[in-house]
Amino acid sequence: MIALVRLLVVGFVVLSIIYICLSLYSRAVRKRKLMAEWEAEQPPMPRDTFVRVGLEEYDNSLRPKLILGVYVVPTVLIGIIIYLTNFA
Amino acid sequence: MRVFGWILTLTFWTLIAAFFHYTLPQKDIVRVTDTENRRIDFGENSIFWASPDVGNDGTRADRDVFFIQTVQANGRPMVYRNEDTGWGWPPYFKFDTSNLQTEAADLKSTSADPQWALITHYGWRNEFYSIFPNAISIRPIDNPDVAKPIPWVNIVILTLFAMVTYAIWVRWRRFRAARIDPAIEEIQDGWEAAGDAVESKRGRIRRWLASWRR
Repeated sequence: MIALVRLLVVGFVVLSIIYICLSLYSRAVRKRKLMAEWEAEQPPMPRDTFVRVGLEEYDNSLRPKLILGVYVVPTVLIGIIIYLTNFA
Repeated sequence: MRVFGWILTLTFWTLIAAFFHYTLPQKDIVRVTDTENRRIDFGENSIFWASPDVGNDGTRADRDVFFIQTVQANGRPMVYRNEDTGWGWPPYFKFDTSNLQTEAADLKSTSADPQWALITHYGWRNEFYSIFPNAISIRPIDNPDVAKPIPWVNIVILTLFAMVTYAIWVRWRRFRAARIDPAIEEIQDGWEAAGDAVESKRGRIRRWLASWRR
């Protein structure tokens, strides 16, 4: 039981670190792209507004939710390994 | 200094290779001669043993361990331990130790009428240290001369490891070229400039002294 708790806690902490880093990185990349887009297209609004609207769009899109796969993939993998080792 | 660096690098990669060789699954073609259960007092070889059956008391210093005694296709003996890895390392998540022991016992045979089996295991056998590979699964096969299955799991894991290592290495080199090398060059330039300044000053003093001597 202690071993399971240890696996869950350590796994959760490590995956959370990866998740947070990936989220921040992905958002920063999007921000940089939006700035470049504003430079290239010169839309009729200030740069800050353009970037803010773009980032809000990004936050509501599917892409940031896909990063939750950081938690899902290892869990599924462990499930598959448990099945193959013990029950296959 | 360069030799020292090479030795360090070689040691590092040898340890990495040993780690993978110990942890990744391997398959052997064997004939089970007997199965047994004996008490082990763990000593300095204790890191080469896994964990007690999941749910049991893990605080005791000694416990009973299942063993599977086999003879390989080449006639050499090989003894496997059969332990739960549970939720710990290595991540095989093996809980079916007792079932595996039953399957192994079911495949027992004599050299006169052999029943061959494919056994998956990880770990090493070392006589000087009394350590045994841990059996993961066993299944009967008809012919000991068949080729072993392609180790897809190992191929995938090692490929992923190589990719991650290469990615880190490339980034490190880029980082070094962009940040560290210029800094070192700057320091070196500074030293050389200081050296030149000292040199020219010394030259002036020397000339001044020489003017006195005359």
